[in-house]
Amino acid sequence: MSFFSRSIVAALTALSIVGGVSSASSDTTTLVVVQSGEPVGLDAMQNNLQHSLNVAFNIQDRLFEPLEDGGVAPGLAESWEFTSDTILVVKLKPGLKFHNGEQVNAEAVRYSMERLLDPAIASPHAGRMSQIDKVRTIDDLTIEFTTKAPFAPILHLMSYYLPIVPPVATAATEKEAFNRAPIGAGPYKIESWERGGDVVLTAFDGYWAGRPPYDKVIFRTIPEESARVAALLTGEVDIIEGVSVRSQKTIEDSGKGTLTDSMGVMPYVGLNTLNGPFTDERVRQAVNFGVNRALIKKALFNDRGMLAAGPISPRTFGADLTLEPYPYDVDKAKALLAEAGYPDGFDTTLSYPTNMTQIQEQAQAIAADLETIGVRAKLQPLDRAVMWEKYQAREHQMYIYWWDDNPEPDRYMYSLFHSNSRDYYYNNKATDASLDKGRSTLDRDERAKIYASIDRALYEEAPWLYLYIIPETYAVGPKADYVGRRDGFLFVRFAQPRTN
Amino acid sequence: MLRYILRRLTHTVLVIIGISAISFIFLHLSGDPVGLVLPQDATQEQIAALRQEMRLNDPIYLQYLHFVTAALHGDLGLSIYTREPVVGLILERMPATIELALAALVLSLAVAIPIGVLAAVKRGSWMDTISMTVALFGLSMPHFWLGIMFIMVFSVQLGWLPTSGRGTWLQLLMPATALGVSLIALFARLTRSAMLEVLSQDYVRTARAKGLSEIMVVGNHALRNALIPLVTVVGMEFGFLLGGAVIIEMVFAWPGVGRLIVQSILDRDYPVVQAAVMMLAIVFVTVNLLIDLLYGWLDPNISYDGRSK
Repeated sequence: MSFFSRSIVAALTALSIVGGVSSASSDTTTLVVVQSGEPVGLDAMQNNLQHSLNVAFNIQDRLFEPLEDGGVAPGLAESWEFTSDTILVVKLKPGLKFHNGEQVNAEAVRYSMERLLDPAIASPHAGRMSQIDKVRTIDDLTIEFTTKAPFAPILHLMSYYLPIVPPVATAATEKEAFNRAPIGAGPYKIESWERGGDVVLTAFDGYWAGRPPYDKVIFRTIPEESARVAALLTGEVDIIEGVSVRSQKTIEDSGKGTLTDSMGVMPYVGLNTLNGPFTDERVRQAVNFGVNRALIKKALFNDRGMLAAGPISPRTFGADLTLEPYPYDVDKAKALLAEAGYPDGFDTTLSYPTNMTQIQEQAQAIAADLETIGVRAKLQPLDRAVMWEKYQAREHQMYIYWWDDNPEPDRYMYSLFHSNSRDYYYNNKATDASLDKGRSTLDRDERAKIYASIDRALYEEAPWLYLYIIPETYAVGPKADYVGRRDGFLFVRFAQPRTN
Repeated sequence: MLRYILRRLTHTVLVIIGISAISFIFLHLSGDPVGLVLPQDATQEQIAALRQEMRLNDPIYLQYLHFVTAALHGDLGLSIYTREPVVGLILERMPATIELALAALVLSLAVAIPIGVLAAVKRGSWMDTISMTVALFGLSMPHFWLGIMFIMVFSVQLGWLPTSGRGTWLQLLMPATALGVSLIALFARLTRSAMLEVLSQDYVRTARAKGLSEIMVVGNHALRNALIPLVTVVGMEFGFLLGGAVIIEMVFAWPGVGRLIVQSILDRDYPVVQAAVMMLAIVFVTVNLLIDLLYGWLDPNISYDGRSK
């Protein structure tokens, strides 16, 4: 049969499946979660996209549970201690098993660590975890990790990016197959995954924190926002991700859903401190005085979220909370520009990737404010990939990007400001030294002081035009209770059926 | 007949080659996938290493050569994100798109042909005017908007139909209608004008004179000949359906190739986009070939050998 006729038969067969996979309504034992993009794979070790990890993290547990303040709580591990600056000893909870019956023991942890760093797996997390030099098993429940240098973020990173997998089953499965049907020791095991359609998970009785509240969890994908919101309003689904400001009012007014804050998004305007007018600190401070970030936040985001003072989010430990956001002061801005040799202002470009939320409005508002102080910024909207290329080629003068409001300060401060990581637009040896100290000091209070000093230094140095932090929003239907997390991940074991 | 088919197949191969070259070039000129694949906190070394592995530093003709060599061995590459063979990823979702396109086609023809026939037979009457106007409405509405309106009305307000997804025929109804509505006008008008022309032909008068019932005359003799131009247009519009399915797939979360292409374009998953474009082109060209062969059945006057019968 030709391809055409075969497809007719296939189509007719599909059409004749009546009452097949029906969209599950939320009875008390099934939770339906909708994402705006589909998971690409389900093995946490092989995936970095949020939509994939949201599902994977429910199947595969890690040694620790991440806390909202950047610390960690016991996960598969019972206790841990740093026996030296570079040696971490972890003890597992006894008697835990994976979904397939294998033991969660030190050997499984060692295997998982090695798999993470194995080039054949090509894990996107290998880079982050490359500080771990050696791993060895001490006894059946104890493992020892050695880092190359003292590395404070290690616990935080391990609480996300070291999923523990069963050695026997994982080694016996091709990685693509494992990516479609992974095994772990998490609260849910995978029942089925129809590509492009639903991922169905069922509760795991042997989970260390007890059987989760929902028997079944279905992850669905609806890319179009109005269709997602419609699905919530009809009661077809319980939790939806990706709710823009426009839909928030609709949902609240309908009475059929409540909103909960999730990951904070921190847009910022990077300035080229190495080339062009922004090499002068006064010019950089001028633009910080010249943009009315409070008004933009009010107008575009319903005044949600918070203003940024320095580069470190006020919610992250180590932020200098005595810093005030730059006030809106047009005269001061103009005076600084004149002092720097630009009494009539200057021309520049403001580049931004078109896929950011509400970016056009933000860019226009910022450019309009800049115009008032004499900085004539030409808007340059770019496709995401082109923006990235130009970014690496050091072509931008002013560029809008964003980072997530991560509770671990090293996560983005190092990535964005250390010359080892990116030296395209900013390169400061003093900052490098402070960042190195921040990541190698294990004591949390000491670290907080170091980051506070970095926050203050960069506040004054102003390598960025600081803006605000706006949380993303989830919407939850009337039959479920769920509180969004700052890291933005959907740990569904914390969702409960609503009993009233 | 055989010679005709062979000639058409040669054209097909040339078309596929042309499409593959053009889409390859445009994809690679459109930006760097590396920054999207790696996490935001990736180091410069990691970025450089991945570029090397993906051969992004080679000149574009070398990259294309490598692609063609592999393709001739049946290897259209691996997805950048999942590392799975792209052919499998696409074939997995092709049935969903074809189902949607066919359902839309069947629906639109089922509505358009009767409207067109009635309009022709009752030419000049109010039925003629009204049906043509209503059909025109369908043509003018963008199906993105129509799809969302359907969801708002039939799912949210009335609660009759599920909002999205695939599985039951209820879930197929709205997307197929949204996609097919714009074709109704085209097919109806075409049927009407074809019927009008056919109904004025000598052989129709002969059939009537022979004493055949009006239904036989119109339904069998006239309609069969009127279908010939319609069949051509259906073939051409099938391409439109495959393309339009992309938008409808996004709105209704239909798990087809269209949605896969959109997501892969945004993620710069080149191999997936490349292979999907080529495979859709193959489907389109095959459909047109079959339609041309269908002519021979519909109209015995048509011969493929260049000789008249």
